[in-house]
Amino acid sequence: MNDKTMKTGKDKLIGVNMLRKEDERLLQGAGRFVDDCDDPRMVHLAIGRCPYPHARIKSIDVEAARAMPGVFAILTGADIRARTEPISVLRPLPGLLRHSYYAMAQDVARFEGEPVVAVAARDRYVAEDALEQIIIDYEPLPHVVDAERAAAADAPILHPELGTNVVVDNTLDAGDPTPLLEAADVVVEDRFQLGRVLGLPIETRGVVARYDRAAGMLDVVTSNQSPHLTRSQLAQSLRMPESQIRLSAGTIGGSFGNKLGLYPEEIIASLFAIDTGRPVKWIEDRMEHFRATVHGRESTHRIKIGASKDGTLIALDDDYFIDIGAYNGPWGPSVLASVTMPGPYNFSGFRARRRVVVTNKVPMGAYRGYGPPESNFVREVLIDRIARKLGMDPAELRKKNMVRKEQMPFTSKSGAIYDSGDYSRCLDLALDKLGYKEQRQRQAEARKQGRLVGIGMSCYVEHAGYSAASISRHTGRRFGTFESVTIRLDMSGQATVFTGIPNFGQSLETAFTQLAASGLGLSPSQVVVKPGDTLGTPQSVGAFGSRGTLAGAGAISKAAGEIRAKILRLAAHELRVSLESLDINDGIITSHEDKSIQLPVSEIAEMAILGMDLPQGDEPGLEATAYWTQPGPSFGFGAVVAMVEVDPKSGEFKLERFIVAHDCGTMLNPMLVEGQVAGGICQGLGATLMENIIYDPDSGQLVNGSMVDYMVMTAADMPKFELAHLESPSPVTPFGIKGVGESGVIGAAGAVANAVSDALSPYGIEINRIPILPETIWRALRAAEKKAA
Amino acid sequence: MSGTHRIKVTVNGKLYEAEVESRRLLVDFLRHELMLYGTHAGCEQGACGACTVQFDGRAIKSCLMLAIQADGHEITTVEGLAKDGVLHDVQEAFRNAHGLQCGFCTPGFLMVAAALGEEKKVLKGDALRKELAGNLCRCTGYANIVTAVETYLEKVGGAAQ
Ligand code: FES
Ligand code: FES
Repeated sequence: MNDKTMKTGKDKLIGVNMLRKEDERLLQGAGRFVDDCDDPRMVHLAIGRCPYPHARIKSIDVEAARAMPGVFAILTGADIRARTEPISVLRPLPGLLRHSYYAMAQDVARFEGEPVVAVAARDRYVAEDALEQIIIDYEPLPHVVDAERAAAADAPILHPELGTNVVVDNTLDAGDPTPLLEAADVVVEDRFQLGRVLGLPIETRGVVARYDRAAGMLDVVTSNQSPHLTRSQLAQSLRMPESQIRLSAGTIGGSFGNKLGLYPEEIIASLFAIDTGRPVKWIEDRMEHFRATVHGRESTHRIKIGASKDGTLIALDDDYFIDIGAYNGPWGPSVLASVTMPGPYNFSGFRARRRVVVTNKVPMGAYRGYGPPESNFVREVLIDRIARKLGMDPAELRKKNMVRKEQMPFTSKSGAIYDSGDYSRCLDLALDKLGYKEQRQRQAEARKQGRLVGIGMSCYVEHAGYSAASISRHTGRRFGTFESVTIRLDMSGQATVFTGIPNFGQSLETAFTQLAASGLGLSPSQVVVKPGDTLGTPQSVGAFGSRGTLAGAGAISKAAGEIRAKILRLAAHELRVSLESLDINDGIITSHEDKSIQLPVSEIAEMAILGMDLPQGDEPGLEATAYWTQPGPSFGFGAVVAMVEVDPKSGEFKLERFIVAHDCGTMLNPMLVEGQVAGGICQGLGATLMENIIYDPDSGQLVNGSMVDYMVMTAADMPKFELAHLESPSPVTPFGIKGVGESGVIGAAGAVANAVSDALSPYGIEINRIPILPETIWRALRAAEKKAA
Repeated sequence: MSGTHRIKVTVNGKLYEAEVESRRLLVDFLRHELMLYGTHAGCEQGACGACTVQFDGRAIKSCLMLAIQADGHEITTVEGLAKDGVLHDVQEAFRNAHGLQCGFCTPGFLMVAAALGEEKKVLKGDALRKELAGNLCRCTGYANIVTAVETYLEKVGGAAQ
């Protein structure tokens, strides 16, 4: 880091496997999640949701429900329209700046699950009883639950004011790649489908809202990754000043992007709190979760890649549809699929056309990876096909085309700036771990015996954190690229770190403790982290896009450096020794001039806080607030190698080896890094092997919207995986750390698909969709056998 | 509206008497009446295991039982594991192996593991993974959970032999 403040303090906690601070309470069930608070005066919400994919609401009769004992209040779409503004969009789609939706359906509901009515009652059981007494007259309308169908001329239009279901059509390119593709020796192309999935945190969403009428203060606790952003959205929707809303996140039971930004339920709960004067609680049940929390990933790509005979990649041309569901949510669909499409390779020509389509499904939003897993899958599968066509080794072909270490910083054809890394070395780490050569031999022998063994790989870049330069106000984006903290010492010499970023399992308290203790010269036990509250914290953006720890690190280092410098100044004055001779370690100030000096920081803290005997020019207090913005983009890297054996009879396959070598720059805490990667792998494999939200095209209904029907990985499904690390420090981040939250999820699908296609290459079967189901393989095998016979 | 019943149930060694609605789920009773918030609800369909408690020593999902079915029985929740502020061996094992991230699934896994430990089962690898397959974790990828439980079972099982 060039910034001087980064250099002060001892960095001895950077790179250390410190055990987690949050565990003591979580292990005892004392996590304080949003549902872990009750109040005898509390009322509970149940939300009535549209059971149809598309329907006109002709009438709502709430009289019988209103008369039920235990029912406090009821809200419908008309109340919402009169009293609130539509949910503001934080990341507008180009050309679709203001499209948004109310917290409840207005006249027409556009997806199964859209809120239509809400009841506040004595308890959730009574609230649900009351919902059953509400009579809603729906007129079902024609629906469409497939993006390409929705883009057709005869499709029912969801939003008549837009006149089309293709709400955005934009292209990112480096000129027209067609001439390059026409001149290429080989061109491979296919249509790829990625299933609709969701983050599925084990804690659903939840809100507790309280209103203090006398003070005019609204207090909202909600499981949310970006409290400051969400508060400004809530203020805007409720037509209240932000200063009258406190929004805090409590502890969050997993989020994975799904708990970003404002949802209807925060607005609805707040209105009830204002109306009833009572604390109001809404906890999403799991059936609702599938119908009320954002989905992710689903897209269809038609992509071509051209290469020359010697395996040089020449051009990539992709044309894809994203199915965003019924509305553009606060975060909307990913843009990173286009940006990361070229991946870690040099291309001469590039184009990605993105069409964003609305359908009668749950709105799409951020989900771990958010673009890169999609682009990685389609690109890496085609790269393997080129290798097969040319008879080249897929690893050699990749290495030949990778951006080299000496080329850094490198600007990709999509405009992404890669700051650092040694991509081919990282791929070698993964290959070596597998024992690539030997395993290729084993594969050849197995094949002679008629066994279907395959090896596949995929390489990815991970966009880690946003930089100031990457986002302009003119794009209409409503979030910044900075992060901030306030650090305050008390008289005991303990430091408290206040941050707007909440803790949702990413080990924020541990990571921030390591950073703050390092920067201040305190021991980790002398640091307390207070996360995720708008009250008293400086403006914050939140944790997403692998940015939280990285951006927080910048702010912490700055603030801690300032405080440490002041402690030393005060100590030099008090002890009458030179400033340069002083150091702080584990909360003890020492001097190399006078070895007898062992002054606890608490004594200087007391002096500062009492404001007595200070050197001239120093003010009382020992605290600092700092903001930090990442000066340039940083990208992590990873290489995945998978080895499978397919059972030719059943189409089932077993992941025999699964290796991820990754580079997230300097590892602040390797234990936590590995935990993040492991969790990402599990979700990446879930989407590769089983996860898939299914809508029935005829009825438009969500078919598998429950945890019993939507399959995710269990301990028994999860294969063993192996990790390898490379550390290429980023030149643009504190300590050279890069984000890692999304890493593990990105490369899984490509590597597994390539391994399966490799195993099935004797039959010429190529995988082009995820999830990769045994049934699909079985059918392809039977068809291939038929053809051969 | 449903009727109510008077029940007596021992939770973490303490006897509670309560008047509960017949339709009240055991998980809701534990959480919102006894204020033992460590037992979590992630699905209320028996799919996630976050609500696992020990019922007369056996690990069960408390979202699949009514509170009135607990009348006359003994329940242990995650709050009953640590004694006098000292973490239970299974809790220590999870901490040391980084077996938790958000911690929402954790009480369920701890209760399953503790029940296995009380039966002195020394399970490993795939056999253990099968035992844990009734609990979902969306954060960790399971490897560290499996390591934690293996370490714990080895410790308590080994001590018995
Ligand atoms: S809440 Fe009981 S199994 Fe999920
Ligand atoms: S630690 Fe988050 S669900 Fe398991």
